[in-house]
Formats: sequence, C-alpha cells, structure tokens
Amino acid sequence: MSEGESPLLELENVHSYYGDSHILEGVDLEVHEGEVVALMGRNGVGKTTTIRSVLQLTQPRDGAVRYRGEDLVGLDTNEVAERGIGWIPEDRRMFSQLTVTENIRAAVPEAAAVDEKLDLVFETFPALDERQNARAGALSGGQQQMVAIARGLVGENDLLLIDEPSEGLAPKIVETVANTLAETAAETTILLVEQNLPLALDVADRFYILDHGAVVDSGATADVDTDSERLRRYLSA
Amino acid sequence: MMSLLFVDALVEFLSPGNVVDVLVRGLAEAGLYVMIASGLTLVFGLMGVLNFAHGSITMIGAYLGGLVLVTLAAGGTTVTGLLGFAVAIVIAFGALAALGAGIETQLVRRIYDRPPLYQILLTFGVALVLDEFARIVILFYGLQPSTVWQAVLGTKPTVLRESVDVLGASIGGLELFQILFGILTVAGVHLFLTRTRYGLFIRAGSEDSEMLSALGVDVRRVFTVVFALGTGIAGAAGVLLAWDPAWGASVPLAAETLLPAFVVVIVGGLGTFRGTVVAALLVGFVDSTMTWWFQNYINFTGLPEMMVFLVLVIMLIVKPQGLYGVSEVGGH
Repeated sequence: MSEGESPLLELENVHSYYGDSHILEGVDLEVHEGEVVALMGRNGVGKTTTIRSVLQLTQPRDGAVRYRGEDLVGLDTNEVAERGIGWIPEDRRMFSQLTVTENIRAAVPEAAAVDEKLDLVFETFPALDERQNARAGALSGGQQQMVAIARGLVGENDLLLIDEPSEGLAPKIVETVANTLAETAAETTILLVEQNLPLALDVADRFYILDHGAVVDSGATADVDTDSERLRRYLSA
Repeated sequence: MMSLLFVDALVEFLSPGNVVDVLVRGLAEAGLYVMIASGLTLVFGLMGVLNFAHGSITMIGAYLGGLVLVTLAAGGTTVTGLLGFAVAIVIAFGALAALGAGIETQLVRRIYDRPPLYQILLTFGVALVLDEFARIVILFYGLQPSTVWQAVLGTKPTVLRESVDVLGASIGGLELFQILFGILTVAGVHLFLTRTRYGLFIRAGSEDSEMLSALGVDVRRVFTVVFALGTGIAGAAGVLLAWDPAWGASVPLAAETLLPAFVVVIVGGLGTFRGTVVAALLVGFVDSTMTWWFQNYINFTGLPEMMVFLVLVIMLIVKPQGLYGVSEVGGH
C-alpha cells in the first residue's frame, strides 16, 4: 500500500450489538487495495461480528463502515455484496441440499458467465470436479471449504472477507487452503479472520488484534512471529 | 359374523373395478391437494411464514374464475367451456399473484423480524378481510355466500360430466381433469425450482437466506416472487374447485381448503415441495379409501374427513417434522 492512499475498506469507531450485548466497542481498522489483513484475537472478542458488521448482517448502531469511501451502514446485505465484497463464512454455510454445482451457480452474479466460472472452479479444485452433482451436505469438511472458497472466488469480488478458513480441517487440507489463499491474495484484497497463527502470519501483510470488542494492537506481520510477546499477550488461551 | 362381514367387504373393496375407482379418486383428490398446498409450502419453506390467508386466496380464485366462466362459457360447448376455463386460470393466477405480491410487499415484509405469532395474526387478519370483502361483494350481486355458486357448476363442459368405464369402474371426466392439473402443477413447480435461476435462489434461500443475500441475491425480491407464485397457484386451484360439486365457489371454501392444505404441508414436512406431493398422494388415497368404506359399510359420510386429520395426528406423534421435513426452515 502507498502512504496517503485512501483505504478500500475502513471501519471507524464501529459499535455493534446482539440485542443488549455490546459486542464491538469502537472498532477502527483499514484494509488497503491489494493487502491481506489478518484479524486476530481469542474466541468471542468480536472478529466474526466485525465481518458481519461490514456485510450489514449485523447493522452497527454507531460508527462508519466505508468501502471505496461510501458508507455501507444501512444498506441491505445484497447491496453490500453487489459492490464487490465477498464472504467465506466461518462454518461454510453450505446450501446442503443443493449440489456442488448449484452452490457455485448461486454465487455467480451473471447467469451468462456460469459455465465459464464452473470450468475455472473445477480446474482450481479437481476434488470438486469429481463430485459436481453430489449434495454439498454430503461432502467432507475439506471439500465443503473448497466450495465455500469457490463461491467467494466466482463472485468477482474486489474484497474477500474470510472467516476461519482452516477451522476443523485436517493439516493436509489446511495446506491446500493456505495455498489457495496465497493464490487468491495475488489478485484480491482479503480481510482474514484466522486462529491458526502460522497460517495468518504467512499469508497476511498486516494484522489487527481485537480484545473485548476493540482493536488493541496492529502492525506488519513481518515485525512479529508466532512467539512474539505482542501476540501471545492477546492470543494465548 | 362381524369378521365374515369384514371379509366380504374386503373382497368387494379389492375387486379390480373398485381398486381403480379408489385409485383414480385418490389421485384426483391428490391433484387438488397439491394445487391447494403447493403455494403454502413454498412460502413457508423460503420465508418461514405460515400464510393463514392462503385458503381465502383460493376462495377468491374460485369466484374470480367463476365470474370468467359465467361470462365466457355459460351455456356454451365443450370448446368454449375449456377455453373459458383456460382464460379463467390465467386471469385467476395473474390477479392473485399480483394480490399476493401486494400483500407481501405492503404487509408481510414489515414483520419479518418479528416473532412468528405476528405473521400468524397478520395473515389471519388478511384472511378475515378477504372473506368479508368476498361476502359483501357476493351479497351485493345477490348471490348466496354460504352455498355453492351453482351457475359456475353449470358451465362445466359435457365432457367433464361424463364418465368412462375402466375395469368396471366409472371414472369421471372431472376427476381425470383434476389429475391432469395436479400433474401439471407438480411438473411446473418442479421445473421452476430446478431449472430456473429463481428456483435455485428459492431452494438456496429456503436453507439459508442470510448466506444467499451475502452472495448478492436480493432475497426480498425472491420472497415477493415466491409469495406471488404461491398465491397464484392457490387462485388457479380455486378455479378448478369451482367446477367440483364437492367443493364449489363459496366463502366457506376458504376454511375448507386451508385445513387440508395445512394437513398436507405438515404431513409432508413443512417447507418441502417433495413432501407436499407425497403427502397429497397419501392424504388423497386415505380420503378415497375411507370414503369408500364409510359410504358402503358404515354409512356415515362425514367421517372420511376426520380420517385425514387422523393422519395428521399420527404423523405429529410418530414423526413431528413430517415425511421429508427438516428441523428448521426459512429465515430472514
């Protein structure tokens, strides 16, 4: 990123609630075009709520969520997505009764482009090619994660919000996911929520650490390693 | 003595002619049930809304279709009767789809985020308004709201009044017509759900509408389309019922259709179209079978309807989620 360049995504003093529970207590963060930014923190500190607040799935009660300078607060979620923001959610959120192909079709904005996008997905994920017509609910966790990532990739998004992509996956699958993320990062800006510290530090350019609904530390991933006191203070169980 | 009587009855029941008769009657009932219940299950599956006004929409479809039939097909030939019916179906579908879209966008949409009780109260209120509106209009034109509109029954073409003999069974033209429309409804809805982009969105949204909206799909518009489709099919079903003397166009048709529609939707599993089709067949066959037994050996024609509700009770005890039901559907 270059100094002074306006961020692609900017959260300014964002306050979000679930009912009466105050989850985000003034989150500030920026993601610049071409960056991979890791959002880290222990369970329950507001990482997923931050993503949901960007998507307006949880509408912030205060503060601003700007994308290319436009405040997204108050828009419908589909309007946020139409602006080029994709979501690969924590629990994959498969349409389990739909086939692999149908899950991906649902994510392609232009009906005319479906076949081309499907070819691209099955080229990227050969394991899915063999299971095109299988119900997504019958896939393994790793295959479901591939479908979830594929849905994010075919959406022609400029920013991907990726929530815990390695959660619950076998080490070998995590490696595949990490490679895919690295390839995706070459073309797309990413805000990545990830508890797997080595993976997050490997893929991301910068990081933010959340604690009790607010950013408590941030910096370049090049300045820290998995043993850093800065990280251990907020991330160790 | 009783067991001998039962064996005699069973032998008669299983005679080829009778089996064909019961099967055709069951299929005809199933055809009607599937038309009545399809919209209800689509709307519940995607939106989680139990539309208590669904039966009233069918009733208005019966009157609207009846009006077209009385205007175009009274005293006419089979050709004019069937053409009038086609026009009536198109008008009832279009008008009630438009009414459904209006109800969804102007009323139901405002309460998606409220607890389900609000949706029940709202749609029940809409049902009361529609029923009273129909009653006022019908009285204004000098018709009896509580009895079947006979003039519409009179527009039924001769071919639908006649019967054909199959293996000794007398199969009515109207029953075959109802089976045909049941098949057309199942095929049409199935093709819509599986071959169109909106159908894909409906099936995806029935599982997780939040995820669907995050993929850039305007879920509210999908809700409107589904609500309109559901009320349109209900309206078209009304036209078909207006020609059936067992139903007919009357204001109580609203409740008479709403109850079996709920039975079919719950037995099939709330929100699943496949379940609705299978449940319609099940309820149709139970109805036709028990009608035969009660008419021929118990001589009490009111009880077959009770047996349909008994199916519901048994299902709720044995498999509360229904034949193909999932634990959770819909969402906003």
